[in-house]
Amino acid sequence: MQNEKDLFDMLKEMYPQHPRKEFVSATENTLRQRARSMGKKRIITKFSVISSGVLVCAFIFSWLIFFNGNSKVSEVVQSVGGASSSYAMDEKEPVVYIYHSHNIESFIPEVSAQQVYRERAYSDTKNITLVGKELSRALKELQVPAIHDETDVAGILKQRGLYFQDSYKVSRENLQKVLAENDSIRMVFDIHRDSTKRRESTIEIKGEEYAKIKFVVSKTSGNYETNKKFATQLHEQLEKLYPGLSIGVIEKGVNPQNTYNQELHDNSVLVEMGGIENTLEEMYRTTDIFAQVLEDILEKSK
Amino acid sequence: MTDSNNLESRIVEIYNLYYLDVYRFLVCFTGNQNDAEDLTQEVFIRVLKDLSNFNSNYNLKTWIFSIAKHVAIDHYRKKRFSALFKDGFFNQFSSNEKKPEEEFEVTELKQFIHDAIAKLKPNYRAVVILRGINEFSIKETSEILQCSAAKVKVDYHRALKELKRKLNIEIEGVLTNAK
Repeated sequence: MQNEKDLFDMLKEMYPQHPRKEFVSATENTLRQRARSMGKKRIITKFSVISSGVLVCAFIFSWLIFFNGNSKVSEVVQSVGGASSSYAMDEKEPVVYIYHSHNIESFIPEVSAQQVYRERAYSDTKNITLVGKELSRALKELQVPAIHDETDVAGILKQRGLYFQDSYKVSRENLQKVLAENDSIRMVFDIHRDSTKRRESTIEIKGEEYAKIKFVVSKTSGNYETNKKFATQLHEQLEKLYPGLSIGVIEKGVNPQNTYNQELHDNSVLVEMGGIENTLEEMYRTTDIFAQVLEDILEKSK
Repeated sequence: MTDSNNLESRIVEIYNLYYLDVYRFLVCFTGNQNDAEDLTQEVFIRVLKDLSNFNSNYNLKTWIFSIAKHVAIDHYRKKRFSALFKDGFFNQFSSNEKKPEEEFEVTELKQFIHDAIAKLKPNYRAVVILRGINEFSIKETSEILQCSAAKVKVDYHRALKELKRKLNIEIEGVLTNAK
């Protein structure tokens, strides 16, 4: 029993060593039939692939000729190409990149009561993105080409099941792409609305109300020194033109740790403009001044 | 139509060359002629389906056996699942009728071997049968099981050891009960 050969011999003897004759011939027939039907099927599929290919070609050909389809084709191509990026590109080399990590930040006077959550206003239409749009328009007027990224970051968070803290990760994606494609970019702004109340966030200059502005620099980005220098330059220029409009440079990003993507560009700063109780009009006034300041700095550094 | 004629003659040729080997593997694996026949047919139906994708760089026989091994293990899993319901439930109705005394020796020993093989885990079972019954080389076995030659050697020895151990326990059990 200990011998392997005995064991295998016994195993061999244990079961019928031949299948039944009827089975052998029946299986051979089954295989023959299957092989035949497979051959037929293959011919049918070949034929159908060829004929459907011919039909599709004929259809596209006639569409192009009779219905002037080529204009449609270019439209389709354009829309496919343009769908991936939602920022408006200027023809000239872009110099400023504007985006909003918290794109739904809004203003209590501008939205309905339902859109105010814990004294914060959020809206997917009337929000901080409009301020960025205004900045991009004002810069354009001053011959400064800008890219305004209108990506709905909050929408993407929801879609991917991410949390609000992940906003910077999402906004980073486009930022990285744009910086890789455009080495002409010299300034990067992530524009937010601050969460302070009207008393703190507003200033009256020559009888008109303006939203105040402040610059946030991350201490943990690894780019802190250069970012801070740039932010200070912005603050000082604003002080010269409209004293009191800029609150100053704030250092953050230690706890909770956040680089605000500022390591990606030397002249990158997070802009907190206005507060929850400001109106878009007050925001736009400050925006136009800010655009002027940016143009001044760009001119000087030329 | 030459295409389908070719395929037909090819599969019939392959079938006649290898059905006996495949059947022997499966009959040892399942321990049952009916199952082995059904599975043999299934193996060659799969061979027919995949024949057009068969890479002629490979050995045809080991390729067919790798299919057979898959079929066998699939069958084992299905059977194990249905056994969960069958065994416990129907065994209580089985008859306790005694077998004739003279047949006892042979059938009992067979039953031991059968049980021992059936208790081996399917991968071990496949190695033992491929090496011991089908007499494949280590290299061929490793091709069939898609693993290294070293693993085949190790598995084969462990499987044999376990098989012997199981047989010894059974036989000892009988002997002590007989006293």
